[in-house]
Amino acid sequence: MAETEGEVDVLVQRVVKDITNAFKRNPNIDEIGVIPCPEARYNRSPIVLVENKLGVESWCVKFLLPYVHNKLLLYRQRKHWLDREALVDITCTLLLLNPDFTTAWNVRKELLQCGVLHPEKDLYLGKLALTKFPKSPETWIHRRWVLQQILGQLSAVGRGSKQQQHYGEAEQPEAERSQQLSDHLSRTLHQEMKVCSDAACRYPSNYNAWSHRIWVLQHMAKGNIKVFHDELSSMRLWVSMHVSDHSGFHYRQFLLKELSTELSQTPPCIPTIMSSSQDQSSTVSRSSSHHHSHAQANGELPGAEAAEEEERQLGCTTVLQLFHEEMELCSDLIQSFPGHETLWSHRRHVFYLWHNLRKEHQQHCSSNGGVVPGQLKDSDSCPPEVGAQSSAGQGESVNGQRHASEPMEVDGASLPEPRDSKRLKRGVLLPGPPALPSEHSFVSGILERCSNPEQRRFALAYKKWLDTVIDREP
Amino acid sequence: MATQVKDVIIKADAPSTLLLDKHADYIAAYGSKKDDYEYTLSEYLRMSGIYWGLTVMDLMGQLPRMNRQEIIDFIRSCQHECGGFSASIGHDPHLLYTLSAVQILCLYDSVDAIDVDKAVEYVKGLQQENGSFTGDKWGEIDTRFSFCAVAALALLGKMDMINVGKAVEFVLSCMNFDGGFGCRPGSESHAGQIYCCTGFLALTGQLHLVNADLLGWWLCERQLPSGGLNGRPEKLPDVCYSWWVLASLKIIGRIHWIDKAKLRSFILACQDEETGGFADRPGDMVDPFHTLFGVAGLSLLGDEQIKPVNPVLCMPEDVLQRIGLQVDLLS
Repeated sequence: MAETEGEVDVLVQRVVKDITNAFKRNPNIDEIGVIPCPEARYNRSPIVLVENKLGVESWCVKFLLPYVHNKLLLYRQRKHWLDREALVDITCTLLLLNPDFTTAWNVRKELLQCGVLHPEKDLYLGKLALTKFPKSPETWIHRRWVLQQILGQLSAVGRGSKQQQHYGEAEQPEAERSQQLSDHLSRTLHQEMKVCSDAACRYPSNYNAWSHRIWVLQHMAKGNIKVFHDELSSMRLWVSMHVSDHSGFHYRQFLLKELSTELSQTPPCIPTIMSSSQDQSSTVSRSSSHHHSHAQANGELPGAEAAEEEERQLGCTTVLQLFHEEMELCSDLIQSFPGHETLWSHRRHVFYLWHNLRKEHQQHCSSNGGVVPGQLKDSDSCPPEVGAQSSAGQGESVNGQRHASEPMEVDGASLPEPRDSKRLKRGVLLPGPPALPSEHSFVSGILERCSNPEQRRFALAYKKWLDTVIDREP
Repeated sequence: MATQVKDVIIKADAPSTLLLDKHADYIAAYGSKKDDYEYTLSEYLRMSGIYWGLTVMDLMGQLPRMNRQEIIDFIRSCQHECGGFSASIGHDPHLLYTLSAVQILCLYDSVDAIDVDKAVEYVKGLQQENGSFTGDKWGEIDTRFSFCAVAALALLGKMDMINVGKAVEFVLSCMNFDGGFGCRPGSESHAGQIYCCTGFLALTGQLHLVNADLLGWWLCERQLPSGGLNGRPEKLPDVCYSWWVLASLKIIGRIHWIDKAKLRSFILACQDEETGGFADRPGDMVDPFHTLFGVAGLSLLGDEQIKPVNPVLCMPEDVLQRIGLQVDLLS
């Protein structure tokens, strides 16, 4: 069916209008796609809206895309004027078909800058594009720029600038405004987490989605222990069902690292876990001094040194617990799903983080002489009572559940190294932290009980890594 | 017991000899039907596409088949007032396409066709306080852009125009515990980013800062039973990773850590005997991107039918010799 240039013109303009109208009719469209349909049905629009799904029939795409593509470029070269509304519609159509077309996103940036477009619109458009193109680098890149704009606006409003009048609001009490801001920030943050999650589900080991997720936390939740903690909890199930997703596990490594940095620092950051979302407004301005003064505003009394010490210990305990739990999770998954490189890679990362943290702590705490450093120092020679290492002796597990059974220490013959008789008996019974000898036991356990060749290969590689990388370090 | 390793299986009848003539024909004919829908879809990266096509032709000794003057004119019309280059006419300028433009002009020994000072100014203007580079005026930071910046300036002989020390500092802040690099501090190690960062450190003379044994180990763990290389754990092998990983290994002096013969047979299996060109993995659709990296990979592995390729810049060594650009690698 040959189309003259004029016919194509009319057709495409109608299609662009149909797309625009579809969004007006249904602001809840949550997915886009191309409908395989080789021929046009007489006089029927190729735009199909069913429930919340927007489809474009495939026959029209080869007309539609080049037409809007060239139209935009003519505008960019000042050869053809397009009014703002037309620009919005054309770029929307273009980006739903080809979201890596950087220049189209840039046109929208300019529209955003002069107030024609609201940032939320582009977050929405990007979200839709990602349903079909979950990796699209340019979509993620544009998203970060939009979020920077939003953060900038929130900061400005937070500082009580003239922009407040721009939004037509009467003077608000400071606390109320502050609460609104942190609510907005919190909503935006959680929306981003959802967008990243969806994209991660749509494409395995989606580097761009996960690195965006990290960027969002780095820029919108800096130092916010509660958010990091929540993320760690909420991702636990997901990674257990996606044991090949290296990016997903790397995200947990990032969270652990951030948490261990925050929780083991002085002055303490623990107040943020217990206080309200008010703290989230501190992430809008990222200076740590603001963070600390906020902690003081939370009512730290003079003579808080003892409280600080207690909080620091609480922080250290939490860190220990986090690492213990992560290693447990890792061991469970390694045993339930033999032969996954990602899981062994995760083990390396987590153990390395822990190993380094312990070294730093020994240096730091030995100059302070508290209770905590002693416990940490002994961990090397103290096998845990219950923990990851005991599961190493189990070999088979049923549905990832460990059998309740005796810890490995009892079965002395299978241990390559003499177990210390020193045990962690003093004070609070902390969960056993991962330690070099117990890691070697874990590997031995796997090698003894597992016949999966890939699993053996990865176990041996891990052992070699322990010997080469960890042992070599002072 | 079934192995769970993600990999491909190379069929017995997969190509096992190098079909250079077919690849040259494929590239020479590529894009001749400019109305093609697919061609429009990829216009946003056209400058890089041209660089891929020309470089692989030059590596195969077939550069004269391409239209030199048309391309140089095209490049000129892609230089914007700010000095940067866009991927195609009417598109916005970006560091990625600025590098590709400079690389093409070097192939053609025609750097003087553009405003070099303006181009340098554009690159310099993208450096941030922490030493990083944004891709364009809109502010995205990525170690890829650090590489693009120093590579473009090195080819123009103007690396002294930026703060190299600060640039190095930023790239190092993206080094991870496994010896690899990500796109930003705290990002996951990725073979493509590792290539950019090791290339960057080579160009800035800072390779001694890399933990070559550790990184080399991570890189050689990318080799799968099929012989192909992936970009991260548990990803499928891809011919382009055979370049990013292989070139990185060469840069850090550990290329002997992978099984060269097996890699070669994987790369050869990615050829399409009918259409010419290379695909990401055996049996898939070919494209110029994978064709370049397949041929370049074979060159790095020592295939004598192909010109020696420089592992840092992915350009023929003789071009760099002509320019007088020498980049030291680790041994």
